[in-house]
Amino acid sequence: MKKYDVIIVGAGIAGLTAAIYVSRAGKSVLVLESTMQGGQIINTINIENWPGDFKVSGAELSQKIYKQAEGLGAEIDFDNVEKIEKITEGFRVVAEDDEYIAGAIILAVGADPRKLSEKQTQDAGKRPISYCATCDGALYKGKPVVVVGSGNTAKHEMEYLQNIASKVYHIHHDDPIPEDAEAVFVAIGRVPATGNFADLVDLDERGYVVAGEDCKTSTPGVFVAGDCRTKEIRQLVTAAADGAVAATEACRYLG
Amino acid sequence: MELIDFYADWCGPCQMMKPVVEEFEKAHPEITVKSINIDDEEELAEKYGVSSIPCFVVLKDGEEVAREVGAMPLKKLEKLVGVKRG
Ligand SMILES: Cc1cc2nc3c(=O)[nH]c(=O)nc-3n(C[C@H](O)[C@H](O)[C@H](O)COP(=O)(O)OP(=O)(O)OC[C@H]3O[C@@H](n4cnc5c(N)ncnc54)[C@H](O)[C@@H]3O)c2cc1C
Repeated sequence: MKKYDVIIVGAGIAGLTAAIYVSRAGKSVLVLESTMQGGQIINTINIENWPGDFKVSGAELSQKIYKQAEGLGAEIDFDNVEKIEKITEGFRVVAEDDEYIAGAIILAVGADPRKLSEKQTQDAGKRPISYCATCDGALYKGKPVVVVGSGNTAKHEMEYLQNIASKVYHIHHDDPIPEDAEAVFVAIGRVPATGNFADLVDLDERGYVVAGEDCKTSTPGVFVAGDCRTKEIRQLVTAAADGAVAATEACRYLG
Repeated sequence: MELIDFYADWCGPCQMMKPVVEEFEKAHPEITVKSINIDDEEELAEKYGVSSIPCFVVLKDGEEVAREVGAMPLKKLEKLVGVKRG
Protein backbone atom coordinates (compact mmCIF):
# COMPACT_ATOMS: atom_id res chain seq x y z
CA MET A 1 0.00 0.00 0.00
CA LYS A 2 1.31 3.45 -0.91
CA LYS A 3 2.35 5.59 2.06
CA TYR A 4 2.38 9.36 2.39
CA ASP A 5 3.12 11.77 5.20
CA VAL A 6 -0.09 13.66 4.46
CA ILE A 7 -3.15 12.78 2.41
CA ILE A 8 -5.46 15.63 1.47
CA VAL A 9 -9.05 14.83 0.49
CA GLY A 10 -10.34 17.29 -2.12
CA ALA A 11 -8.47 19.38 -4.71
CA GLY A 12 -10.45 22.58 -4.34
CA ILE A 13 -8.73 25.84 -3.42
CA ALA A 14 -8.33 24.72 0.23
CA GLY A 15 -6.88 21.30 -0.61
CA LEU A 16 -4.52 22.58 -3.32
CA THR A 17 -3.21 25.36 -1.09
CA ALA A 18 -2.63 22.83 1.69
CA ALA A 19 -0.69 20.70 -0.82
CA ILE A 20 1.57 23.68 -1.62
CA TYR A 21 2.37 24.18 2.06
CA VAL A 22 2.94 20.48 2.83
CA SER A 23 5.24 20.10 -0.19
CA ARG A 24 7.25 23.16 0.79
CA ALA A 25 7.65 21.72 4.28
CA GLY A 26 9.45 18.76 2.68
CA LYS A 27 6.78 16.14 3.42
CA SER A 28 5.30 13.72 0.92
CA VAL A 29 1.72 14.53 -0.01
CA LEU A 30 -1.08 13.00 -2.05
CA VAL A 31 -4.22 14.89 -2.96
CA LEU A 32 -7.23 12.74 -3.83
CA GLU A 33 -9.98 14.37 -5.89
CA SER A 34 -13.22 12.68 -6.91
CA THR A 35 -14.17 14.88 -9.86
CA MET A 36 -12.05 17.81 -11.02
CA GLN A 37 -9.42 20.05 -9.50
CA GLY A 38 -10.70 23.49 -8.53
CA GLY A 39 -13.93 22.36 -6.87
CA GLN A 40 -16.99 24.60 -6.79
CA ILE A 41 -15.30 27.73 -8.14
CA ILE A 42 -14.73 26.30 -11.66
CA ASN A 43 -18.23 27.44 -12.71
CA THR A 44 -17.53 31.08 -11.95
CA ILE A 45 -16.48 33.29 -14.85
CA ASN A 46 -15.38 36.52 -13.17
CA ILE A 47 -13.82 36.50 -9.71
CA GLU A 48 -13.38 40.01 -8.40
CA ASN A 49 -12.13 39.42 -4.87
CA TRP A 50 -9.14 37.12 -5.30
CA PRO A 51 -6.21 39.44 -4.53
CA GLY A 52 -3.75 39.96 -7.35
CA ASP A 53 -5.80 38.58 -10.22
CA PHE A 54 -8.79 40.83 -11.02
CA LYS A 55 -11.62 39.12 -12.97
CA VAL A 56 -9.80 35.81 -13.23
CA SER A 57 -12.05 32.87 -14.09
CA GLY A 58 -12.44 30.02 -11.61
CA ALA A 59 -11.14 27.57 -14.21
CA GLU A 60 -7.98 29.58 -14.85
CA LEU A 61 -7.32 30.17 -11.15
CA SER A 62 -7.78 26.46 -10.41
CA GLN A 63 -5.37 25.41 -13.16
CA LYS A 64 -2.76 27.85 -11.89
CA ILE A 65 -2.92 26.61 -8.30
CA TYR A 66 -3.02 22.98 -9.49
CA LYS A 67 0.15 23.46 -11.57
CA GLN A 68 1.82 25.28 -8.66
CA ALA A 69 1.12 22.39 -6.26
CA GLU A 70 2.29 19.85 -8.83
CA GLY A 71 5.42 21.89 -9.56
CA LEU A 72 6.32 21.81 -5.88
CA GLY A 73 6.11 18.03 -5.83
CA ALA A 74 2.57 17.28 -4.67
CA GLU A 75 0.99 14.16 -6.17
CA ILE A 76 -2.58 14.58 -7.29
CA ASP A 77 -4.75 11.64 -8.23
CA PHE A 78 -8.40 11.19 -9.14
CA ASP A 79 -10.17 8.87 -6.76
CA ASN A 80 -13.21 9.21 -4.54
CA VAL A 81 -12.42 8.71 -0.84
CA GLU A 82 -15.02 6.47 0.76
CA LYS A 83 -13.67 5.90 4.25
CA ILE A 84 -10.78 6.83 6.56
CA GLU A 85 -9.83 4.74 9.58
CA LYS A 86 -7.37 5.24 12.42
CA ILE A 87 -4.71 2.51 12.47
CA THR A 88 -1.48 2.16 14.47
CA GLU A 89 0.69 3.62 11.67
CA GLY A 90 -1.64 6.57 11.17
CA PHE A 91 -4.67 6.42 8.89
CA ARG A 92 -5.95 3.99 6.28
CA VAL A 93 -7.59 5.83 3.39
CA VAL A 94 -10.02 3.74 1.38
CA ALA A 95 -10.88 5.16 -2.04
CA GLU A 96 -12.89 3.75 -4.93
CA ASP A 97 -9.91 2.48 -6.94
CA ASP A 98 -7.15 2.14 -4.33
CA GLU A 99 -6.09 2.21 -0.68
CA TYR A 100 -3.43 4.35 0.94
CA ILE A 101 -1.74 4.99 4.30
CA ALA A 102 -1.07 8.46 5.68
CA GLY A 103 0.49 9.89 8.81
CA ALA A 104 -1.95 12.79 8.87
CA ILE A 105 -5.14 13.75 7.04
CA ILE A 106 -6.50 17.04 5.79
CA LEU A 107 -10.20 17.04 4.91
CA ALA A 108 -10.89 19.69 2.26
CA VAL A 109 -14.05 18.24 0.75
CA GLY A 110 -15.99 21.49 0.40
CA ALA A 111 -19.72 21.61 -0.20
CA ASP A 112 -22.19 20.48 -2.87
CA PRO A 113 -25.36 22.25 -3.97
CA ARG A 114 -28.40 21.27 -1.92
CA LYS A 115 -30.61 19.05 -4.04
CA LEU A 116 -34.14 20.00 -5.07
CA SER A 117 -36.84 18.55 -2.77
CA GLU A 118 -38.47 15.31 -3.83
CA LYS A 119 -41.79 17.04 -4.33
CA GLN A 120 -40.33 19.65 -6.68
CA THR A 121 -38.24 17.04 -8.48
CA GLN A 122 -41.43 15.09 -9.23
CA ASP A 123 -43.09 18.32 -10.27
CA ALA A 124 -40.21 19.00 -12.68
CA GLY A 125 -40.82 15.63 -14.34
CA LYS A 126 -38.67 15.24 -17.45
CA ARG A 127 -37.57 18.87 -17.47
CA PRO A 128 -33.83 19.42 -16.93
CA ILE A 129 -32.71 20.45 -13.44
CA SER A 130 -29.59 22.62 -13.29
CA TYR A 131 -27.46 23.79 -10.38
CA CYS A 132 -25.48 26.31 -12.42
CA ALA A 133 -27.07 29.05 -14.53
CA THR A 134 -23.75 30.22 -15.99
CA CYS A 135 -23.10 26.64 -17.18
CA ASP A 136 -26.47 25.78 -18.66
CA GLY A 137 -28.40 29.05 -19.04
CA ALA A 138 -27.46 29.61 -22.67
CA LEU A 139 -29.17 26.37 -23.65
CA TYR A 140 -32.51 28.05 -22.89
CA LYS A 141 -32.19 31.12 -25.09
CA GLY A 142 -35.65 32.64 -25.58
CA LYS A 143 -37.36 30.00 -23.45
CA PRO A 144 -39.15 30.33 -20.10
CA VAL A 145 -37.24 28.99 -17.09
CA VAL A 146 -37.67 29.00 -13.32
CA VAL A 147 -35.24 29.71 -10.49
CA VAL A 148 -35.82 28.03 -7.12
CA GLY A 149 -34.35 29.66 -4.00
CA SER A 150 -34.39 32.84 -1.98
CA GLY A 151 -30.75 33.58 -1.14
CA ASN A 152 -28.06 35.67 -2.81
CA THR A 153 -27.06 32.94 -5.23
CA ALA A 154 -30.66 32.62 -6.45
CA LYS A 155 -30.71 36.38 -7.03
CA HIS A 156 -27.52 36.18 -9.10
CA GLU A 157 -28.82 33.25 -11.11
CA MET A 158 -32.00 35.22 -11.90
CA GLU A 159 -30.06 38.28 -13.02
CA TYR A 160 -27.92 36.13 -15.27
CA LEU A 161 -30.86 34.28 -16.81
CA GLN A 162 -32.91 37.44 -17.36
CA ASN A 163 -30.57 38.33 -20.25
CA ILE A 164 -31.08 34.95 -21.92
CA ALA A 165 -34.47 33.42 -21.19
CA SER A 166 -37.82 34.74 -22.46
CA LYS A 167 -39.18 34.69 -18.91
CA VAL A 168 -37.65 33.91 -15.53
CA TYR A 169 -40.05 32.69 -12.86
CA HIS A 170 -38.94 32.90 -9.27
CA ILE A 171 -40.24 30.44 -6.70
CA HIS A 172 -39.26 29.24 -3.24
CA HIS A 173 -38.50 25.91 -1.74
CA ASP A 174 -41.63 23.74 -2.09
CA ASP A 175 -43.66 26.10 -4.32
CA PRO A 176 -45.17 24.38 -7.36
CA ILE A 177 -43.07 24.57 -10.55
CA PRO A 178 -44.68 26.71 -13.28
CA GLU A 179 -46.07 24.55 -16.07
CA ASP A 180 -44.44 26.31 -18.99
CA ALA A 181 -40.92 26.56 -17.50
CA GLU A 182 -38.62 24.46 -19.69
CA ALA A 183 -35.78 24.13 -17.19
CA VAL A 184 -35.44 24.38 -13.43
CA PHE A 185 -32.46 26.26 -11.99
CA VAL A 186 -31.84 25.45 -8.34
CA ALA A 187 -30.00 27.65 -5.82
CA ILE A 188 -31.14 26.61 -2.36
CA GLY A 189 -27.85 26.57 -0.51
CA ARG A 190 -25.05 24.11 -0.12
CA VAL A 191 -24.36 21.03 1.99
CA PRO A 192 -20.90 20.02 3.25
CA ALA A 193 -19.62 16.85 1.52
CA THR A 194 -18.67 15.26 4.83
CA GLY A 195 -21.01 12.23 4.87
CA ASN A 196 -18.19 9.68 4.46
CA PHE A 197 -16.34 11.06 7.48
CA ALA A 198 -19.03 11.14 10.17
CA ASP A 199 -17.28 8.28 12.02
CA LEU A 200 -13.86 9.91 11.78
CA VAL A 201 -14.49 13.41 13.17
CA ASP A 202 -17.20 15.37 14.98
CA LEU A 203 -19.66 17.13 12.69
CA ASP A 204 -22.10 19.85 13.72
CA GLU A 205 -25.85 19.45 13.20
CA ARG A 206 -25.58 20.75 9.63
CA GLY A 207 -22.73 18.41 8.72
CA TYR A 208 -19.79 20.81 8.98
CA VAL A 209 -16.56 19.47 10.52
CA VAL A 210 -16.21 21.06 13.95
CA ALA A 211 -12.92 22.99 14.24
CA GLY A 212 -11.70 26.45 15.13
CA GLU A 213 -9.21 28.67 13.30
CA ASP A 214 -6.42 26.16 14.06
CA CYS A 215 -8.22 23.67 11.76
CA LYS A 216 -7.84 20.85 14.32
CA THR A 217 -10.72 18.37 14.38
CA SER A 218 -11.88 16.20 17.28
CA THR A 219 -9.47 13.47 16.08
CA PRO A 220 -5.72 14.12 16.56
CA GLY A 221 -3.93 13.90 13.20
CA VAL A 222 -7.02 14.89 11.20
CA PHE A 223 -7.27 18.52 10.09
CA VAL A 224 -9.94 20.35 8.11
CA ALA A 225 -9.73 23.19 5.60
CA GLY A 226 -12.14 25.30 3.58
CA ASP A 227 -15.91 25.37 3.14
CA CYS A 228 -16.51 22.07 4.99
CA ARG A 229 -15.30 23.57 8.31
CA THR A 230 -17.53 25.35 10.85
CA LYS A 231 -16.85 29.04 10.17
CA GLU A 232 -18.41 32.39 9.37
CA ILE A 233 -17.00 33.31 5.97
CA ARG A 234 -16.78 30.77 3.17
CA GLN A 235 -14.72 32.33 0.39
CA LEU A 236 -11.67 31.54 -1.75
CA VAL A 237 -9.22 33.46 0.42
CA THR A 238 -10.50 31.89 3.62
CA ALA A 239 -10.32 28.44 1.98
CA ALA A 240 -6.71 29.14 0.97
CA ALA A 241 -5.92 30.48 4.45
CA ASP A 242 -7.32 27.31 6.02
CA GLY A 243 -5.16 25.27 3.65
CA ALA A 244 -2.04 26.99 4.97
CA VAL A 245 -3.04 26.56 8.61
CA ALA A 246 -4.15 22.92 8.28
CA ALA A 247 -0.96 22.00 6.39
CA THR A 248 1.28 23.67 8.95
CA GLU A 249 -0.57 22.00 11.84
CA ALA A 250 -0.43 18.61 10.07
CA CYS A 251 3.37 18.92 9.60
CA ARG A 252 3.76 19.97 13.24
CA TYR A 253 1.71 16.91 14.29
CA LEU A 254 4.02 14.62 12.27
CA GLY A 255 7.03 16.24 13.93
CA MET B 1 -16.14 4.60 -31.92
CA GLU B 2 -16.76 8.30 -31.66
CA LEU B 3 -16.72 10.72 -28.75
CA ILE B 4 -18.65 13.96 -29.04
CA ASP B 5 -17.70 16.72 -26.64
CA PHE B 6 -20.38 19.43 -26.41
CA TYR B 7 -18.88 22.63 -25.00
CA ALA B 8 -19.04 26.42 -25.03
CA ASP B 9 -16.42 29.10 -24.54
CA TRP B 10 -18.21 30.67 -21.57
CA CYS B 11 -18.46 27.41 -19.63
CA GLY B 12 -15.85 26.96 -16.85
CA PRO B 13 -16.03 23.18 -16.51
CA CYS B 14 -15.66 22.94 -20.32
CA GLN B 15 -12.45 24.97 -20.06
CA MET B 16 -11.20 22.54 -17.42
CA MET B 17 -11.97 19.63 -19.78
CA LYS B 18 -9.98 21.00 -22.74
CA PRO B 19 -6.59 19.59 -21.64
CA VAL B 20 -8.28 16.35 -20.58
CA VAL B 21 -9.91 15.89 -24.00
CA GLU B 22 -6.59 16.71 -25.71
CA GLU B 23 -4.83 14.08 -23.61
CA PHE B 24 -7.56 11.59 -24.46
CA GLU B 25 -7.11 12.23 -28.19
CA LYS B 26 -3.36 11.70 -27.91
CA ALA B 27 -3.74 8.46 -25.97
CA HIS B 28 -6.50 7.05 -28.19
CA PRO B 29 -5.93 7.90 -31.85
CA GLU B 30 -8.33 5.08 -32.77
CA ILE B 31 -11.29 7.04 -31.38
CA THR B 32 -12.68 9.95 -33.36
CA VAL B 33 -13.19 12.93 -31.08
CA LYS B 34 -15.51 15.73 -32.19
CA SER B 35 -15.67 18.92 -30.16
CA ILE B 36 -18.93 20.76 -30.81
CA ASN B 37 -19.34 24.40 -29.80
CA ILE B 38 -23.04 24.55 -28.92
CA ASP B 39 -23.24 28.26 -29.75
CA ASP B 40 -22.19 27.54 -33.34
CA GLU B 41 -24.10 24.30 -33.78
CA GLU B 42 -27.37 24.73 -31.95
CA GLU B 43 -29.19 22.15 -34.09
CA LEU B 44 -26.71 19.41 -33.22
CA ALA B 45 -27.01 20.19 -29.51
CA GLU B 46 -30.79 20.04 -29.88
CA LYS B 47 -30.66 16.83 -31.93
CA TYR B 48 -28.72 15.13 -29.13
CA GLY B 49 -30.91 16.67 -26.42
CA VAL B 50 -28.02 18.39 -24.66
CA SER B 51 -29.43 20.17 -21.60
CA SER B 52 -26.24 20.77 -19.64
CA ILE B 53 -22.57 21.11 -20.61
CA PRO B 54 -19.88 19.84 -20.78
CA CYS B 55 -21.69 16.81 -22.21
CA PHE B 56 -19.90 13.75 -23.56
CA VAL B 57 -21.73 11.40 -25.88
CA VAL B 58 -20.22 8.09 -27.04
CA LEU B 59 -21.33 6.71 -30.40
CA LYS B 60 -20.81 3.22 -31.78
CA ASP B 61 -21.73 2.81 -35.44
CA GLY B 62 -23.55 6.11 -35.13
CA GLU B 63 -25.72 4.93 -32.22
CA GLU B 64 -25.45 6.51 -28.78
CA VAL B 65 -24.09 3.98 -26.27
CA ALA B 66 -23.10 6.20 -23.33
CA ARG B 67 -23.39 9.76 -22.08
CA GLU B 68 -22.11 11.77 -19.14
CA VAL B 69 -22.48 15.40 -18.10
CA GLY B 70 -19.94 17.49 -16.17
CA ALA B 71 -16.19 17.77 -15.76
CA MET B 72 -14.33 14.51 -15.12
CA PRO B 73 -10.75 13.25 -15.00
CA LEU B 74 -9.18 11.34 -17.90
CA LYS B 75 -9.66 8.05 -16.03
CA LYS B 76 -13.46 8.53 -15.97
CA LEU B 77 -13.63 9.70 -19.58
CA GLU B 78 -11.78 6.53 -20.62
CA LYS B 79 -14.18 4.43 -18.57
CA LEU B 80 -17.14 6.14 -20.25
CA VAL B 81 -15.79 5.36 -23.72
CA GLY B 82 -14.73 1.89 -22.62
CA VAL B 83 -11.02 2.17 -23.41
CA LYS B 84 -7.88 1.76 -21.33
CA ARG B 85 -4.47 3.28 -21.71
CA GLY B 86 -1.32 1.31 -22.55
C1 LIG C 1 -21.55 30.12 -7.70
C2 LIG C 1 -20.47 30.44 -6.71
C3 LIG C 1 -19.72 31.60 -6.84
C4 LIG C 1 -18.71 31.92 -5.92
N1 LIG C 1 -17.99 33.07 -6.10
C5 LIG C 1 -16.98 33.37 -5.25
C6 LIG C 1 -16.18 34.54 -5.44
O1 LIG C 1 -16.39 35.32 -6.38
N2 LIG C 1 -15.19 34.80 -4.55
C7 LIG C 1 -14.91 33.96 -3.49
O2 LIG C 1 -13.99 34.24 -2.74
N3 LIG C 1 -15.66 32.86 -3.28
C8 LIG C 1 -16.68 32.53 -4.14
N4 LIG C 1 -17.42 31.39 -3.92
C9 LIG C 1 -17.11 30.53 -2.76
C10 LIG C 1 -15.90 29.66 -3.07
O3 LIG C 1 -16.13 29.00 -4.29
C11 LIG C 1 -15.66 28.64 -1.97
O4 LIG C 1 -15.57 29.26 -0.72
C12 LIG C 1 -14.36 27.84 -2.21
O5 LIG C 1 -14.25 27.45 -3.55
C13 LIG C 1 -14.29 26.64 -1.28
O6 LIG C 1 -13.16 25.87 -1.58
P1 LIG C 1 -12.92 24.46 -0.89
O7 LIG C 1 -11.60 23.99 -1.39
O8 LIG C 1 -13.12 24.58 0.56
O9 LIG C 1 -14.11 23.49 -1.39
P2 LIG C 1 -14.59 23.02 -2.84
O10 LIG C 1 -14.29 24.01 -3.87
O11 LIG C 1 -15.99 22.58 -2.68
O12 LIG C 1 -13.66 21.74 -3.14
C14 LIG C 1 -13.83 20.51 -2.53
C15 LIG C 1 -13.32 19.41 -3.45
O13 LIG C 1 -13.35 18.17 -2.76
C16 LIG C 1 -13.77 17.16 -3.63
N5 LIG C 1 -14.34 16.07 -2.83
C17 LIG C 1 -15.47 16.09 -2.07
N6 LIG C 1 -15.65 14.90 -1.46
C18 LIG C 1 -14.62 14.10 -1.86
C19 LIG C 1 -14.27 12.74 -1.57
N7 LIG C 1 -14.99 11.96 -0.76
N8 LIG C 1 -13.14 12.23 -2.15
C20 LIG C 1 -12.39 13.00 -3.00
N9 LIG C 1 -12.68 14.29 -3.29
C21 LIG C 1 -13.78 14.83 -2.73
C22 LIG C 1 -14.80 17.86 -4.50
O14 LIG C 1 -14.99 17.17 -5.72
C23 LIG C 1 -14.18 19.24 -4.69
O15 LIG C 1 -13.38 19.30 -5.84
C24 LIG C 1 -18.43 31.06 -4.83
C25 LIG C 1 -19.18 29.88 -4.70
C26 LIG C 1 -20.18 29.55 -5.62
C27 LIG C 1 -20.95 28.29 -5.45
